[in-house]
Amino acid sequence: MRLIKTFFAVCVAAAMVPVALHASSGAPTPPEQSWSHTGIFGSYDKHAAKRGAQVAVEVCMGCHSISLIKFDQLRALGLSEAEVKKLAEVQGRSKNDRMTSAMDETAAKDSFGVIPPDLSLITKARKGYEDYIYGLLTGYPSEAEMELAKKVMAKGSISEQDALEVQSALLINAHEKEHMKAKLERLVGGANFNKYFPGNFLAMPAPISAGSVQYADGTDNSLKQLSRDVVTFLAWAAEPTMEERKSLGFWVMGYLFVLTILLYAIKRRIWAKVH
Amino acid sequence: MSTIMEWIDKRLPVTELIKSQATEYPTPKNLNYWWNFGSLALTVLIIMIATGLFLAMHYKPDATLAFKSVEHIMRDVNFGWLLRYMHANGATFFFIFVYIHILRGMYYGSYRAPREILWWIGIVIFFMLMGTAFMGYVLPWGQMSYWGAAVITNLMSAIPVVGSDLVTWIWGGFSVADPTLNRFFVLHFLLPLLVFGVVFVHLWALHAVHSNNPVGIDAHDDKDNLPFHPYYTIKDLYGVGVFLIFYCYFVFFAPNAFLEADNYIPANPMQTPAHIVPEWYFLPFYAILRSIDFLGSFSKLAGVVAMVLSIAILFILPFLDRSPVRSFRYRPLSKQLFWIFVANAFVLGWVGYNPPDASLFHGAIPLILIGRTSTAIYFGYFVILWLVTALDIEKPRPVPKCL
Repeated sequence: MRLIKTFFAVCVAAAMVPVALHASSGAPTPPEQSWSHTGIFGSYDKHAAKRGAQVAVEVCMGCHSISLIKFDQLRALGLSEAEVKKLAEVQGRSKNDRMTSAMDETAAKDSFGVIPPDLSLITKARKGYEDYIYGLLTGYPSEAEMELAKKVMAKGSISEQDALEVQSALLINAHEKEHMKAKLERLVGGANFNKYFPGNFLAMPAPISAGSVQYADGTDNSLKQLSRDVVTFLAWAAEPTMEERKSLGFWVMGYLFVLTILLYAIKRRIWAKVH
Repeated sequence: MSTIMEWIDKRLPVTELIKSQATEYPTPKNLNYWWNFGSLALTVLIIMIATGLFLAMHYKPDATLAFKSVEHIMRDVNFGWLLRYMHANGATFFFIFVYIHILRGMYYGSYRAPREILWWIGIVIFFMLMGTAFMGYVLPWGQMSYWGAAVITNLMSAIPVVGSDLVTWIWGGFSVADPTLNRFFVLHFLLPLLVFGVVFVHLWALHAVHSNNPVGIDAHDDKDNLPFHPYYTIKDLYGVGVFLIFYCYFVFFAPNAFLEADNYIPANPMQTPAHIVPEWYFLPFYAILRSIDFLGSFSKLAGVVAMVLSIAILFILPFLDRSPVRSFRYRPLSKQLFWIFVANAFVLGWVGYNPPDASLFHGAIPLILIGRTSTAIYFGYFVILWLVTALDIEKPRPVPKCL
């Protein structure tokens, strides 16, 4: 029986734990970030989301729509009516319009070969959620990484040393050199490479870089800060009712704990006659 | 008041029914907490029908509107997010409870005479639930909804002669599209009401033969039984309280834990997701389906047959188990088989979750091999249980004479 129990425990554990499987697809997992809005007590960082709204409108909405949100709803993030109007004008919209891109879908398809996805739910619609979107925005090769790719390709063949260097910089598996070479060739040739995109190559060129957006309050506009802010905004856009949900949840849980303790006490009392 | 009740009782004996079937209904006094899961499943069914009714008032079963209408519910409908998350997570708890309820029946021999019909009705309910859950998952019309529907309905094409016509008929066209969504909505609305009806037949059958119990012997007299009220009403209510704590944790704090990210992408018939997975509660059966891949052109049909058989085999379980003793508590061999069966179900679920071409230890153990072995163990349970009991290999321990 002990053997059976051990077998049982092992099987259940194996089923629960994501074992490192070797399947054909395998994009690197973006590093975990800490977000103010995740977790039981989490709420949106309104300042970051407000700044992120500016990034979204000025940068992302050049191609992407966020059609489930109306410009006027941005006031929930602390934007004034004047600020909302100003942002709407960037895309040629008025404050009561949905946040749709000024670029039409056919034009987008002509330029990129695909229709840029709507971003309303993007942080819920990708495995890795916010961390993935942040990883994607910051996962384009830096200038130094581009130089490395060029340097390695110029040599003609990839040495073990080079392969390891490329692996740690661009997260391409060093064990498959042919694969690596093909990827570096495309990267150097000007294709859009991203460390975290499954398959690495995507239609979207690096959308933001340091200084893409000027914040009115002078907040640092490094690539990391801009990415963080816009991801916070997109997380809000994906579920504006999250804070209401969590705060109601506390009352519900509190009520249920008291109720269940009482039910248990009554159960004990009623059953005392039997036991 | 009492004169009104007398007037009614003369015409419709309500008081009599409540007394005999609810308050004074004799229930074995030794039921453990595994017996809570029937009433818990009923509780979830009621939650599902109630939330589903209100969701249906705001949902649009139209391929161009469905996805947006779900987000309309999430954002614009008062407490719409609560309705949707209760409904989506309710499905998860429904299946957890139904699986425990079935396994409890298997462990304590609740399928044995005279409870065969009660058991069969339960299996019918389980089949109906699977159909309902499958069609419900299609309604949000996300990528996983669409492609899950495409993969599963396509299985029907394996049926000889009529297969491909049948699939066209189910789809209402030549692919999963608007007509499919529309009829799935209608059926998803209808089926739970039928389930609710069949649940009452299940209860009728239960009340005819009464509850089994952990010892697995018949309750003889008043000494073995307790009136259902207040003993089991309070015990069931306490169970509901515990359930609601777990349930509300997911509804309020981790509502997307059981959902696939891909289903927040609107359905796109032109783009197949990298990896199509069904909802977690179908994964073991999905693994059985996929593990029959060695029969050439018959593989698909054989896979479908194996998948259906994996549940249908429960129908003959009452006749496979020949032991003189009902409860596995006194059956050392059966008990071990049972726990292997349960552990194996987790392995099947894990196999079903992973891509079919995956492997363990850098290709040393292909997942498909684990899947085939697990499928063999799954069906092996029923064969070995039959052999062990029919050939009297198992020597049951002595069973108490009373509860």
